[in-house]
Order: sequence, then C-alpha cells, then structure tokens
Amino acid sequence: MSVIATLNSLPLYLICGAIIAFVAVICLVFMVRAYRAGVKMGMDEKVLKRVMTSSATFSVLPAVGILLGVIALSGSLGLPWPWLRLSVIGALHYEAQVAQGAAEHAGIGGLSPESMTVSAFTTIALLMSICIMWGMVLSVLFNRGYLKKIGIKNPEETALNKKSGFGDMAMSAMFIGLVSAYIGSYIGSFVSSEGLFTFKGDFLPLIVVLVSGLVMAIFVYLSEKKKKAWVDNFSVAASMLVGMTAAVLINLL
Amino acid sequence: MKENRNEYFEKYNNRTHLLGRVFTVIVLVLLVGAPFLIGAVLGASPDLGAVGRGFLSVGLIWTISSVVEFLIYTPMLGAGGSYLAFITGNLINMKIPCAVNARDMAGVKTGTPENEIVSTLSIATSSLVTIVVLALGVLLLQPLKGFLQSPALQPAFSNVVPALFGAMAYKYFRGNMKIAIAPLLLMSILFMLVPSLTGSTSMMIIPSGALAIGISYLIYRKQK
Repeated sequence: MSVIATLNSLPLYLICGAIIAFVAVICLVFMVRAYRAGVKMGMDEKVLKRVMTSSATFSVLPAVGILLGVIALSGSLGLPWPWLRLSVIGALHYEAQVAQGAAEHAGIGGLSPESMTVSAFTTIALLMSICIMWGMVLSVLFNRGYLKKIGIKNPEETALNKKSGFGDMAMSAMFIGLVSAYIGSYIGSFVSSEGLFTFKGDFLPLIVVLVSGLVMAIFVYLSEKKKKAWVDNFSVAASMLVGMTAAVLINLL
Repeated sequence: MKENRNEYFEKYNNRTHLLGRVFTVIVLVLLVGAPFLIGAVLGASPDLGAVGRGFLSVGLIWTISSVVEFLIYTPMLGAGGSYLAFITGNLINMKIPCAVNARDMAGVKTGTPENEIVSTLSIATSSLVTIVVLALGVLLLQPLKGFLQSPALQPAFSNVVPALFGAMAYKYFRGNMKIAIAPLLLMSILFMLVPSLTGSTSMMIIPSGALAIGISYLIYRKQK
C-alpha cells in the first residue's frame, strides 16, 4: 500500500471524523444555549432566526473555498487530516504554509506525495497542531479575565436602545483597519509586486473587490431605499459569488 | 424582572466560560493527541526533535499571530463566540465577518449581552455549516473533484477573500470614510513601497487597525 493510500485508510477517517463530530456537538451545545438564553432575555425570536439563516448563507461560499484547501492538501497529506485541520481550528492561509515548513523539518524536503513517509506525516501533523493551538490556549487561560478587564457591561447598562459607547465604534474601526490592510495589499501587489510601480502585478483581486463592492451597493440600495430588508440575508454571499464569477470570466478573456 | 434578567445572564455567562474552557481543553488534547494516535496505529511516531526545530522556525510567527488574534477578536466576539471561533478556526476569512454581519443585522452593540447571544449563534451556525459542507465535500469528493479542480474555476476560489472584503468594505467604508481613508491610503502606499509585506498582511492589521481606532477616537471625542 502506498503512503498516500495509508493516509487515506479507514483508521484515519475514524480518528479525524470522531474529533470533527465532537466539535460539531460543541457547536450545537453553544447554539442551543445561546438561542434559549436569547429568548429568555426577551430577544425577538425572528431576529435570532434571521441571525442563523444569514450566518448559514454567509458561510456556504467560504466553506466551499475551504473545501478546495482540503482538496489541495489531500494530494500529499491524504484526505482525512486536511479535512480535520480545516474543519477544526485551521485556516486556509495557514495550513499549506506550516505543512510546507514542517515537511522541510521532517526531512522530506517539502510537501509531495512522492517523498512522504508515515513518520514524516505524523511529525508534520503534530507541528501543524502545535503551531496553531495558541489561540485556544490563550482562550482557556485569559478569555474570562480579559473580557472582564475590557468591560463586558451589565445588562441594565446595555439595553438594545441605549446609545453605544466608544467600544462599539472601536470595533467597527478595527474591522475597517483589517479590510484596509487587505485591500491595501491587493493594490500594492498590483502596483509593485513585479517591480516598484510597474503596474504589472495580479489585478484580479482588485477587480473582485470592486465587483463585489458594487453588487453590495446594489443590495444596500434595495434594502434601504426599496425597503426589501430580506435581501440582507443573502447580500454578502451573493456579492461574493458575483465577485468570484467575475474572476472566472476575466480569467477566460 | 430586570434583576432576574441580570442574574440569568450572569449565570449563563459563567456557564459559558466553564463549558468553553472544558471543551477547549478537550479539543486541545484531541488535536495534539491525534498525531500520536495515528502514529501508534500506523507504527511511526512523530519525530519530536524535528517538531521542536520546526516550531522555532515556522511556529513562532504563528504564536505571535495567535496572541494578536486573541487580543483583537475576543472583545469583538464575546465569550461564547470567541471560545467557538478559536476552536473552529478560519477567523479572518469567515467567522469575524460573519459575526460582524450578524451583529449589524440584529442591531446589537459590541459588549452587550445581546451581542454575546448573536455572536455565539452566528459562529456556531457558521461552524456547523462549514463542518457539514466539508463533510459532504469529502463524501462526494470523487465526483466533485473534477468540477472543483477544473482550471476554469480556480480564479474564483483563489479570490474568496477579496470577494468577501469587497462586499464588507462597501458596508463599512460608506458611512465611515473619515475613518477609512487614512488606513486605506497608508496601507496602499506601504504595500506599494514594500511589496514583500503582502506575505505578512495579517500582521499589518495591527498598525492599520490602530490608526483607524485612533481616528475614530478623535471623532468620538469631537462628537461628545
């Protein structure tokens, strides 16, 4: 049996599948608790259901993208391990980089099905787990204290209709900073990645940003001006889909 | 009634921390233990020396990144949301925008009990959808593989993140151009002058976010 066939064998599916199933149970527990708590606290059930519908539709497209990451890694690590890594804790941009670095240190030069050994695989798998586990470790140690310190407020201070403080504004600003950094990187990449100010870099991400932003503008118009609030449930996912379709079409030209 | 609500939320929150910690520790043990278990089944244990050397070279940057993510995203997501998000991963490309979108749709404010509920619901739903899509994908991989890996579709999936940020940028920038313009310009100029920084974009979120927060604080003070 080849190494890749070994890495695709039933025991690995069982081990990885069991961990994923356990994480799914955790998500269900948190979901049911939050829903019940929301109802008991007097929140509108319609809003809670809309949050779930919107989050589900929002997540489908990125999840398909993540699935592609699983497929990409399955060539050298087998299918079960990338399936576990990207279902639990992992991140698309992280896995391939760490797996490649880990493969070099495992003595097989790099990620490739030809050079993979079972020993190298277990070494790579352990390093992938250790490198990304720190967010969880910090959560266990400091989540409660950190949230307390920065001030989760008491319910009576924070009723829905109460005017928000700087905290809310700061979080929106942080998100604006995050989006700015990524869009800035697309601009910089296009302008200078093939030599400073040569404008010969990859322009596709920028086009996708513009198209999906434009489609989002149409959805906002429909929602706010035409009073079609239901489009909010699909606006982000649909904007993304049109933006991604634009990438395919432009690439075909 | 209000007292009951406060007491109820406090109990809920305490239990969330307890469950979050217990579940996170179990998942940590499972994740770190899995390579050893696989090694035992297949007869080849991990090389701990190589793991140590690998951690020093590729792991430290991700450790710093984890600290930054913890500090930034925990307040955004609240207790339940952040425990779940750190267990299920894919924060930047999925969980954070998803939770922010849900927060805005529900009209709740960061740091409130309502946001705690909405954020937890949103991230739990998002995680379950991801798990289901991946499980179905793995199950149906053989027939799907050809379609999804077709070269014509690759540009679409290589641009999931730009598509996401384009949509989110419109939503966030349009009402906050005073906050957005400086970090956007600064980041664009920086990446144009030092294009190699694109490999560390997640680290550049820190100065970009700090600048945006600084400007929003000035605006907040002016409005008060």
